[in-house]
Amino acid sequence: MRRTAILLLCYGALAGPAWAQSDLDRIPQAASAAPPEPAPASDRVVYLQSDLTLNSAREGLPVPLSPPPQWEARLFADARLSWQIGGDLSVSYSGRLNLRAQDGLAFPGRETVRHDFREAYLSWQHGDWFVQVGRINLKSGVGLGFNPTDYFKTRAVVDPDSADPTVLREDRLGTVMAAAQALWRGGSVTLAVAPKLAGETPPYLNTNLPGFDPGFDRTNARWRMLAKASVDLPGGLSPEFLLYRERGGTQFGLNLTEGIGQAVVAYVEWSGGRSQGLIARALEDGAETGILTSPPPFRVDTAKAFRNDLAAGFSYATDIGVDLEFEFDYHQAGFSGADWRDWFDAGSRPPWSGEMWFIRGYAADEQEPVARNSVFLRADWRNALVHDLSLTGFVDADLRDGSGLAQFAANYDLSPRWTVGALADAYCGRARSDFGSLPKSASVLAKVSRYF
Amino acid sequence: MFRTAITVLALAMCATAVQAQTAQEIVAAADKVRNPDKPFRVTATVTEYRSGTAVDRNVFDVFSKLDPQTNQFRDIMLYVSPPRDAGKMLLLNADNLWFYDPASRQSVRISPQEKLTGEASAGDVLTENLAANYAAAILGSESVEDASHRTRPCWHLDLKAAGDAATYNRVEYWVAKEGDEPVKAKFYADSGGLLKVLYYRLDGASTPSQAIIIDAVNRTLVTTVDFAAPHFQDIPDEWFQRDYLPHLKIE
Repeated sequence: MRRTAILLLCYGALAGPAWAQSDLDRIPQAASAAPPEPAPASDRVVYLQSDLTLNSAREGLPVPLSPPPQWEARLFADARLSWQIGGDLSVSYSGRLNLRAQDGLAFPGRETVRHDFREAYLSWQHGDWFVQVGRINLKSGVGLGFNPTDYFKTRAVVDPDSADPTVLREDRLGTVMAAAQALWRGGSVTLAVAPKLAGETPPYLNTNLPGFDPGFDRTNARWRMLAKASVDLPGGLSPEFLLYRERGGTQFGLNLTEGIGQAVVAYVEWSGGRSQGLIARALEDGAETGILTSPPPFRVDTAKAFRNDLAAGFSYATDIGVDLEFEFDYHQAGFSGADWRDWFDAGSRPPWSGEMWFIRGYAADEQEPVARNSVFLRADWRNALVHDLSLTGFVDADLRDGSGLAQFAANYDLSPRWTVGALADAYCGRARSDFGSLPKSASVLAKVSRYF
Repeated sequence: MFRTAITVLALAMCATAVQAQTAQEIVAAADKVRNPDKPFRVTATVTEYRSGTAVDRNVFDVFSKLDPQTNQFRDIMLYVSPPRDAGKMLLLNADNLWFYDPASRQSVRISPQEKLTGEASAGDVLTENLAANYAAAILGSESVEDASHRTRPCWHLDLKAAGDAATYNRVEYWVAKEGDEPVKAKFYADSGGLLKVLYYRLDGASTPSQAIIIDAVNRTLVTTVDFAAPHFQDIPDEWFQRDYLPHLKIE
């Protein structure tokens, strides 16, 4: 033992000066050679993905609903492309062609092939002015779990392969609109107008999704208008002000971000305006589209009132590459305690269970939380444990009943072009709770992607 | 005797002032070699070596422009490769750091710490305006080996953080006496611990063709940044804000 210690000391004495001289020696031989000629810069992304999902159904639902498919398989080609067609003109396309099969769905059948037509628009730039016309994904908001100012998100998600809000923001249909933006140093204003192109339709199930229909009934069933302005203030404060108008009322919005120190970014996203509660809007939509023919067996407040939505939180970046995010979400139009009691009591009686699930389905289609108060916690770890492995986990919890969705995902980049990944979801909570009443209790997904 | 003492003291004070000014000028001259004061675009290939083996390679197009109001460089780093990241962008504009993902068409604000731990962390030590962010003093003359193992007579400078814009508490800096070429730098944490050692390779060019960043904490890690096709290009100020990023066209 003593001899080992002496040997280590001798080694340390020898290694000390060597360490001081070793900076240049640590430069790899290969670093002296010129790197491969980089490919020309391009913002085009094309990839193929194949994934398989296994779902676990929940037994003994307090409000009965048919179970989710036991398995779902999908192969899709996803593309984001743009072409410069003149000095100041460009054309962009974004979409996904899906080949799908699932438990209980005929194969091949009319549901087997589906094209998600996300975007196609013409852009024109004149100095600091930009005009875009076509189907555009115009997004707003700084929140990570809930985006109350993302007004064009409603009904835009078709058939997501993950409940991760990041994925829901990426894979959704744009809205046909004309948008103009003026930019100057430290600020911008944007005006977008979306026309009505189709009539209202009820929410789709994943067994009746149109194959090649562009889905204008989802995105352009009414006239909509958005005006927003952003400015970068000294000290790093970056507010964005929004005004949104559609049939049914006007909404005002604010996005605010501020860097605090070296590792923290705080943010607030708020939207407010006169509107009905979630249940009243869902029932109205169900009546308009002919799905619901009778009122529910409880009193519904249909009055309009000024309602607020809020997402407030912060992200914290650790020095080992783990980013943590904490967010509180408030949705005043969501279910109150009395609404939950009515929903469970009415839904437990067979004639009303379908109507109650229509309300939840409407909320999901609108990408609107049912919960009034919730928290969203997320952690991302790049190069976790081994190089090129990314781990992500998040929890979305209803503060009223403590139920929640937890997701854990792992992605590993096998090469610059190949990625494999897996994710697991768990919907936790008591039977008469927000997430504990859902027909799916858990799911796992495995995927492989090839980029071109 | 008294008069002589005053003269010596005055001369010493003048010499100190001249040397301090000279130190700052040396750093400023080397900054101009590292990052020209005219707007420019360059392709940067960032290769990460672990234990001598290349394990990761990312390619960026970098658009850089000095902000005369803040004296800081503003950068847009556009991901070119790997293909899964093509079109993503980092906007580095003093306090405003944004990450843009074309998949979501959204810009997300990030913290300086995220910049340091992300794929573009190398950009941190390369684009920092040392003359503006640090107070420099000359420690003396020293001959050091450069990245090509040539012995170079250098000014050995000590740089102390002079404001919030400085990322590091202290930087040791070696600048070649001939041509104001940056040769080597050592970056220190607030605790005094060495974080990174940086070597520049110019090999006769007017700007660095390669930067080599040796991690002093993880001693298996070395990152090289190879610069290709540098050229001056007009870059409007409007580019350096989050709302411009979706409009940036690759040419």
